[in-house]
Amino acid sequence: MKLIVIALLVALSGCSTNQYQSIDQSQIENHALAQLPNWYHDKLGLQLHGGNKYPQNGALKTLLQQADLEFIRGNFQACQILLERAQRISTREASVYVRLSYLFWLEGNIRGAEQMARRALALVVSDQITSEEVKRLLQAIQANQY
Amino acid sequence: MKNHSTSRFKTFVSWLLKLAIVGGVVLAILMAYLDAQIREKFEGKRWALPAKVFARPLELYPSLVIKPKYLVQELDQIGYQRVPNVQTPGQYSYNGQEMDIFRRYVKLYDGDETAARIHIRFNNEVIDGLWLDGKPTTLARLEPLLIGGIYPKHNEDRQLIQLSEAPELLLKTLVAVEDRDFHHHFGISFKGIARAMVMNVQSGRLVQGGSTLTQQLVKNFFLTRERTLIRKATEALMALLVELHYSKNDILETYLNEVYLGQSGRRAIHGFGLASQFYFGKHIGNLTAPEIATLVGMVKGPSVYNPKRKPENAIARRNVVLNVMHEQGLISDYQLAVWEKRQLDVVQYSQYQRVEYPAFLDLVKRQLRSDYADSDLTSEGLRIYTSLDPIIQRSAEQAMSKRLAQLESGYRMPQDSLQGAIVVASTESGEVEAVVGDRNPRFFGFNRALDANRSIGSLAKPAVYLTALRSPQYHYITPLDDSEIKIASTNGHVWQPENYSKKSHGTLPLYQAMARSLNQATARLGLQVGLENIVKTFNDLGVKQHIPAYPSIVLGAFEMNPFDVAQMYQTIAASGFHTPLKTIRGVTTAKGELLSRYGYEVKQAIKTEPIYLLQKIMQQVVREGTARYLNTQFNESLNLAGKTGTSDSQRDSWFAGFSGDKLAVVWLGRDDNESMPLTGASGALRVWAQTFKDLPLKPLYPLPTENIVEQWVDVEQNALSSEGCDGAQLLPFIKDQLPLMSVDCANQSSTEKPWWSRIFN
Repeated sequence: MKLIVIALLVALSGCSTNQYQSIDQSQIENHALAQLPNWYHDKLGLQLHGGNKYPQNGALKTLLQQADLEFIRGNFQACQILLERAQRISTREASVYVRLSYLFWLEGNIRGAEQMARRALALVVSDQITSEEVKRLLQAIQANQY
Repeated sequence: MKNHSTSRFKTFVSWLLKLAIVGGVVLAILMAYLDAQIREKFEGKRWALPAKVFARPLELYPSLVIKPKYLVQELDQIGYQRVPNVQTPGQYSYNGQEMDIFRRYVKLYDGDETAARIHIRFNNEVIDGLWLDGKPTTLARLEPLLIGGIYPKHNEDRQLIQLSEAPELLLKTLVAVEDRDFHHHFGISFKGIARAMVMNVQSGRLVQGGSTLTQQLVKNFFLTRERTLIRKATEALMALLVELHYSKNDILETYLNEVYLGQSGRRAIHGFGLASQFYFGKHIGNLTAPEIATLVGMVKGPSVYNPKRKPENAIARRNVVLNVMHEQGLISDYQLAVWEKRQLDVVQYSQYQRVEYPAFLDLVKRQLRSDYADSDLTSEGLRIYTSLDPIIQRSAEQAMSKRLAQLESGYRMPQDSLQGAIVVASTESGEVEAVVGDRNPRFFGFNRALDANRSIGSLAKPAVYLTALRSPQYHYITPLDDSEIKIASTNGHVWQPENYSKKSHGTLPLYQAMARSLNQATARLGLQVGLENIVKTFNDLGVKQHIPAYPSIVLGAFEMNPFDVAQMYQTIAASGFHTPLKTIRGVTTAKGELLSRYGYEVKQAIKTEPIYLLQKIMQQVVREGTARYLNTQFNESLNLAGKTGTSDSQRDSWFAGFSGDKLAVVWLGRDDNESMPLTGASGALRVWAQTFKDLPLKPLYPLPTENIVEQWVDVEQNALSSEGCDGAQLLPFIKDQLPLMSVDCANQSSTEKPWWSRIFN
């Protein structure tokens, strides 16, 4: 499954023409990422179906948007670099760690993915819904499935 | 008689012939050897290019808190020129509220930033508007400061240029001044030698050498500076060979890159490419005629005619060169008259006249050593992008030198007797942002931040209290006994720790024992929780060195260096998430291809709940404990946390403190390990405060979990209480680790105090 996702991501990276513009919805509908469980996209993770809930901070929002686009394109290294820049601006932004977790997971770094999810969880404990979402991510990573 | 003479003559000729043959063979072998040397040098890699190390690129965005003066300092340091109206890349203007920066093209490990105009509007010390090329933007990066290089042993630095990049005027002037027959001779110029001899005879001393540019190049490349006939002969032979193999343009380009043009500290400035940046802050292609004259004039004597150190000599020499230019028809009468009167216009600040950060560079080199060979670092021209924050680094350096001088005079200590080290890191990312390893921050030598292994004293206590809080038997107000304690070891030695005040404090709650840094209570607690468990906590916090499970470790009677202490406290500051402290973000080739990247790593080392309690206690240390001085210097709402440390006989003064985003560890002491009249609170803490006094810090909010509860308790009774009860305090607890008893608030209130007392008190 993961290989298929990565292959499709890489293929899609060639389709995107306009850098850092919104992602074509028809592409998204058919995208392997759309097959991921809905809960992943509810609050913290990449919003494939629009209605992204990016943070208020403009710089953070820009970096996360750019990171998401690189993620879709399969440029995982570029995505990670952008997420680390976002982390430097806001060290306690849980969605950064959730994205890092997912990135590591796709790259097969299960241990790294789990630790990033734990970091995110420690930051969202006061928000019950979000907290549940991260816990599900953590459980899925630990079970090594989605 | 005649026959005899003829025979002697024949013998002489025969010997001469033999000698000539032998000499010819030797010369041929020598030529072949020299030829091989020349070819190897010219056709292989001609120069070892040192790695260049860069600070972090400053990210600008609306809501960023930054004092405009710091931004101005950074721009000055990276060689930007302040002008009334910005017109070209590398300039900026600032009117007190708004700043215009024309960013130069920037090469970074994660992509390039194009040249662009950045407009910033400040609201006090906050950026509240940002535009890129006239359009509002959310983010803009500046170019990073070049903070040093990793040089080969001879410390040569250069910026390679191609011949086509050099202005025609520079080439013509260089040839006119140094070697007029350059385009006509074959390596050696007899005309040049004759001219030099005439000049020298006329003036009665050595004023001119007869060396051609080719000979000078050969001398710099292959030979020593000694003035012997053999060296001169070898130089001449090699010059001939160089001319035989290579074109005049190739020789001239090599010369432009090789020639020595001054010194900047330990760094030798080679080549016109680097020299034009170093002295005039501009690319070689943009040099003006007087600047060209200054640089060409320096070839004769880079120290004597150094425009920064000896401006009068440099002006005189420049004018000589300008006259040569005029004589050769390169400049007009009017230009000569005007330029002879012109100032040198060397830049005060330049990216290439950098301030080096030896302690930080030392750490960078050590961290690179596992991935790169020394020869790669000193010869391949790698570009190393780090996390150093020049603003924080400068502040830490100034705090160290200022406070040490104050402490020495205040406590009547001998001048320059104190030494110190500082490590500053981001709590979450683990990126090291500043390192000071000596009170003289420019000193390349013993790096105390990494190599001063000293007793950590009470900085060990958080590990003891954390060990207790990790076990279900202890909570925030567990009563601890602070009475005298004697511990006998197996060899009969008795260890009897005392409090700093030499007094005992009876029974007191756990958090107060830590906030007041009580040794006797901590020693008892340490023995109760188990030394092996404490060692495990140290390891979990990231301490890699072996710590023996002796009782005295609970009071820090073992040695660590400031960097390792910072690593331990990073885990505490980041809520139990351990991140290896790192300095490097990425490494690229000289051309910008990414070679390696050092990304964010994290591991939950300690559960969040006990760390939450520990952070709360460390905030108490600042609020009312041994580090309360901080509360007089910083806004209380920052909720700073920390721990002071003083080793036995006051040989070491430590402070480790953190906010929501920064962690810093400060050590002060003497190199001879003698005692000082300083504690952690009166020494290192002051340096910490001075470092951050002018820097923006984010408040620290310990991260609670669903297992953390705030509970009203009666501290004296070690019992649960209720809001409004006498002495009731709202304190944090782990859900399953609450005091077992509870006090009857109703009885207590009615029996202990009359109603009017409750109303009016």
